[in-house]
Formats: sequence, structure tokens, C-alpha cells
Amino acid sequence: MSEQPVLSVQGLSGGYSINRPVLHDITFQVQPGEMVGLIGLNGAGKSTTMKHILGLMNPQKGEIEVQGKRRTEDSEAYHSALGFVPESPLLYDELTVREHLEFTARSYGVSREDYESRGEQLARLFRMEEKMDSLSTHLSKGMRQKVMIMCAFVARPSLYIIDEPFLGLDPLGIRSLLDFMLELKASGSSILLSSHILSTIENYCDRFVVLHRGSIIAQGTLEEMREQAGRPGLPLEELFNVLVQGGSGI
Amino acid sequence: MNLRELYDKRRGQFWGDILPYLGYVIQSGVAVVTLFLLIAFAAWYTAFLQHIPQGLPIRWIMLVILLPIVINSSVRTYLRSADTVFLLPQESRMSTYFRKGWISGVVYKIIGLGIVLLILWPLYIRSDTSPKTLLVTFLVLVALKLLASYGSWREQLMVSRTAAGAYRLLRWAVSALGIAAWLWHPSGRSLIFIALLGLAYGFAVRFPVRHLVAWERLIAIERRQAGRVMLVLSWFVNVPQREQRVHARKWLSGWGRGVPWGKDEAYRYLLVKSFARSDILGILVRVGLLGVLLVWLTREDWASAAVYWIGLLIIGLQLSALRKLHPESFWLHIYPLPEGTRRESENKLIFQVQLFWVVLLWLPLIPAVPGTPDRTLLTLAGGIALVLLSRWNAVRKNRRADDDDE
Repeated sequence: MSEQPVLSVQGLSGGYSINRPVLHDITFQVQPGEMVGLIGLNGAGKSTTMKHILGLMNPQKGEIEVQGKRRTEDSEAYHSALGFVPESPLLYDELTVREHLEFTARSYGVSREDYESRGEQLARLFRMEEKMDSLSTHLSKGMRQKVMIMCAFVARPSLYIIDEPFLGLDPLGIRSLLDFMLELKASGSSILLSSHILSTIENYCDRFVVLHRGSIIAQGTLEEMREQAGRPGLPLEELFNVLVQGGSGI
Repeated sequence: MNLRELYDKRRGQFWGDILPYLGYVIQSGVAVVTLFLLIAFAAWYTAFLQHIPQGLPIRWIMLVILLPIVINSSVRTYLRSADTVFLLPQESRMSTYFRKGWISGVVYKIIGLGIVLLILWPLYIRSDTSPKTLLVTFLVLVALKLLASYGSWREQLMVSRTAAGAYRLLRWAVSALGIAAWLWHPSGRSLIFIALLGLAYGFAVRFPVRHLVAWERLIAIERRQAGRVMLVLSWFVNVPQREQRVHARKWLSGWGRGVPWGKDEAYRYLLVKSFARSDILGILVRVGLLGVLLVWLTREDWASAAVYWIGLLIIGLQLSALRKLHPESFWLHIYPLPEGTRRESENKLIFQVQLFWVVLLWLPLIPAVPGTPDRTLLTLAGGIALVLLSRWNAVRKNRRADDDDE
């Protein structure tokens, strides 16, 4: 592909301690309009990879570029291109749902008109209309997660980093989220998604990156990974078992 | 599990975390200012005692000062979120855990009540036409305090929050009536009235349905109380902030909408919203209104200027907590906020609020302008200078911090 990738991770090694890196030489890209699934067992390094992309951790080796820019070059432009949905909701107790959306829109430089129309659309989509003026402390866990998702979507950056988004969501919420992600993808946004619900993301992601003990053990489309594993026709969940258990899974 | 030991251990841990900061508090300039304020108050109070105005409404003053102290009945429980899982099996034995916290909370507050009563006493016996004896007054107040503490604890366990709210009002009413009866009526009659009132109240609080342990409520209250201790410490030193209490204050929900739209002002929007729902605003309003009252009471001489400037200093001190509202906020690392807007927004908001109080605290002096224009206008000029100086100092500190970052 000749297009510039939205996210480029090149030879990334990193972790909490220099002597004991958690990530080893991670290289992958996310193209415009692409949804990539980052999958792995607990402790494989998915969240650590995301933290490096978000700039919460500094790489020990390697480069990360978002829209061709490194964070050290232009932090504001780098972060403007990123939206993040964390695994556990992180909300301001002092703000209502509407105010969270407004603060996010203001921070990303979204116009007031766009914020209002997107906010209404998202509230409807996630059935949060009646909760828009509630303080975040008065929301259930699932609703708090919806607010996180709505905040990321109101900003409309080029790249969404979404960590375990289905945790705590009700079935209708999961459906709305998946549909909306497809809509975003169709409009040219890219998504890096981490999830353990492989049967669900199998049908939505264009490509997958399989992390195991801090290294990439396979990446590509489902078909390409089946070829790499020599198991044609295997569903993602079983293919994943084969990959992480070195072929002894089935 | 020895629950009493667990309580002691947790209390030891909490205060063990606080103690290292006390040295810094003593060393800080603010501690000296507080000491100076205490000395200034002592001097003013001594002078006031020698020239007590005729017809001073001493009984009302006693009631207004003593009532909140009698009512205040917080209990530290040191409960944590994980207790809903790990201590839940001990629920039926938890009274052993809470007993110590309740007793020590009441004892400390009775000591505080005693100190305030001793300070007020010289004013009371000089002003009241038929003052009561100190010891009996103290005992009456202690009895009312014990009753209020018992009622407050019961309220926290009540299942219905509406009932708890109603009982809270009842507790205020009973305490106010008890103190007023003692101050206004002859001892014998008022003692009988207080005893009957206490019995009726004690009987009434037994009715509502209550939890054995209101876990989530007690954990939330504990979090707020720990946050408050940290808030007070943060006036003196940089401490890790804990969760602050959030007040819905729906009537203030429109505040912040007027903040100009755009990335540069995004943090100010967050700050205004947080300020509107924080404890800081409540404290500020109480301190400010007390300041207005004191400026009005002292409007005849230079003491008003001192009260005015000290009031502004205290308000500035309270406002400094705004800088610590979102010290390590996750989203401020992720969102593309332009560099430097955070400190700028803090300075701007603090400056605006300080200017508001410069005007408001000066309002009681307006009637004195025609008679003593020099004093009143100089007082105002001093206040403006103080606020400008504080802004200049903040900007200078920011520049220094920026240089250090580079």
C-alpha cells in the first residue's frame, strides 16, 4: 500500500524497567480506514503497546508515528490524531455526561455545531439521552463505559485506540458500538482494537496482530494467519489457540 | 479476625502517612501567617472584651457558634472499597470495629467544644444578664453532642435517604432547641425540657429501617473525610490528592458555558465545572461571608482594613487548592491541550474569583466612604494590590516551572 499509514510502530521495545523490557521489537502498521485487532493472552503486552502509542510510556527502542508525526516532534498534532477508550472507565466525578462530551470536543478543537450534532447522535445511539445531565458518579459501570466511547467518538480523530471496549456493555450497547465502528471505518477512520472476544471481532477486523509474551507471533488478515499456521478454514479463536500454544491447542 | 486491631492498624497507617507532612506545615510561611492571625485575633478579642457594646445579642452569638460544633458528628471509619468483599462476612461483628472510631471522634470533638466554650465564656458572662454556670453549660452541651453523634450515626445507617434527610433536619432542630432552651430559660425548667426532648429524639431515631452496616455510604464518607484532611494539608505542602467530595449544585450547572469555545480554553472549562461542584467553593463562600460580616462589624476603624486584607489572604489560600484539582489527570495527558494552557487557566480563574471577593468584601465599607474616604479607599487599593501581587507571583512561579521543565 502506497498510502501513509495512520499508525506506524517500528521496532518498539519497552516496558517499565530498562533491564526487563515487556515488549520486544514490535512492528506493525494501521492504514487509513482499517480496523486492526490486537489480540493476546493476559500479560501479552497489549495494554503496554497501547500505552506507548498514547505517549504514557517512552519506548526504550523503536519509533511510533501517528499520521507521520512523532510525539516528540509535535505533541499537540500527535495527540489530536488519537482517540482512546480505556479498558476501565476513567471519568471526572465533577462532570455530567454532557460536560464530558463538551470538554472532549473543546480539547480536540471540534466546532460547537459539530459537537452538538455528534453528541445528540451518540446519546441516541447508546440510549443515554436521559442520562446526559447526570453526574458520572450516578452512572452504572456499563453507562460509564458508554461515556468513554462517546467521548472518543465525539472527537473524530483519525485513529481510535480501543482497549477491551465490550467489558460492561449490554448486548445492545455492543451492537451499537460495532455498528458505529463500521461507520467510522467507512468514513476513513482507523481503529486499533484490543479484545478477548475473538468470535465477535473476527468478523469486524480487517487484520490482526497477535502478541505473545511481548512479541508479535503472527499478523495479517485472517486468511494470511491461517496460512502462516498451516490451518486453513480455522476460526480466529481456534487459530489463536494454535498460535499461542505452539500448535498443541487442537 | 480482630476487628479492633484492624481499626487501630488502619488509623495508624493513615496518620503515619500524614505525620511526615506536619514538619513542612510548621516550616511553611502559611503556618506563620496562621499563628499571626491567632495572635491578632487574641489581641482584638481582648480589646473587644474590655469594651463590649451595650445590648450585644450574646445568646444568639452563643447559639450560632455552638450549634455547628454540637452538630458536627463525623466518625472516621477508615473503610475501603475492598471491605465490601473481605469484611462483609464480619458484618454482624462490625460494631466492635466502629466503636473505637465513634468514641475517639466524640472525645476529640468534646475537647474542641470545651476550648471554644472557654474562649466564649468571658464574653458570655460579661454580656448576659443572667449567665449560667460554666460546668453545667459544658455538661449540657456534651449531652447534646452525644445525642447528635448518636443520631448522626443512625442516619448514616438508614435505608431511606429521604428519611435520613428528614432526621438530619430533626437533629439540627433538636440541638438548636436544646441550646436555646439552656441559654434563654431558667436552669431547672430548661434541663427538664432538654431531657424530655432528648428522650423523644432518641426514641424517634430508632424507628426507620436501617442497614446493619451501610457499606457503600460509609466508604464514600470515609473517602471524603480523608480527602478533606489532604485538602487542608495541600494549603501548606504538595500532597497526593485524594478524592474530593462532589456536590451536584444543579443551580450552578450553567456556569462554564460562557467559557470561550476552543482548545486554549478547554482546561478552564473543566476547572470552572470542577470548582462549581467542589468543596472549595463551599468553604470559600463560608469564609467570604464571615469576612463580610466581620468587615461590617469593624467598619468604624482600621481593624476593618486588617480583617479585609486577612480575608483576602485566606480566600487566596483556599483558591490555591484549585491548582491541585487535577494534578495527575489521565485525560490531560491524552487530550491535545496546547502547552501552558493549564497554568494560564488556573491563574486566570483564581484572579477572577479573587477580584470578585475584593469587591464583595469591600461592600460593607461603602457607607463609610463619605466619612472616611482615605481609610476605605486605601483598604480597597490594598486589596487590589494584594490580588495583583498574588497573580504576579503565580505567573513568576509558572515561568520558573517552565524553565525547569525545559
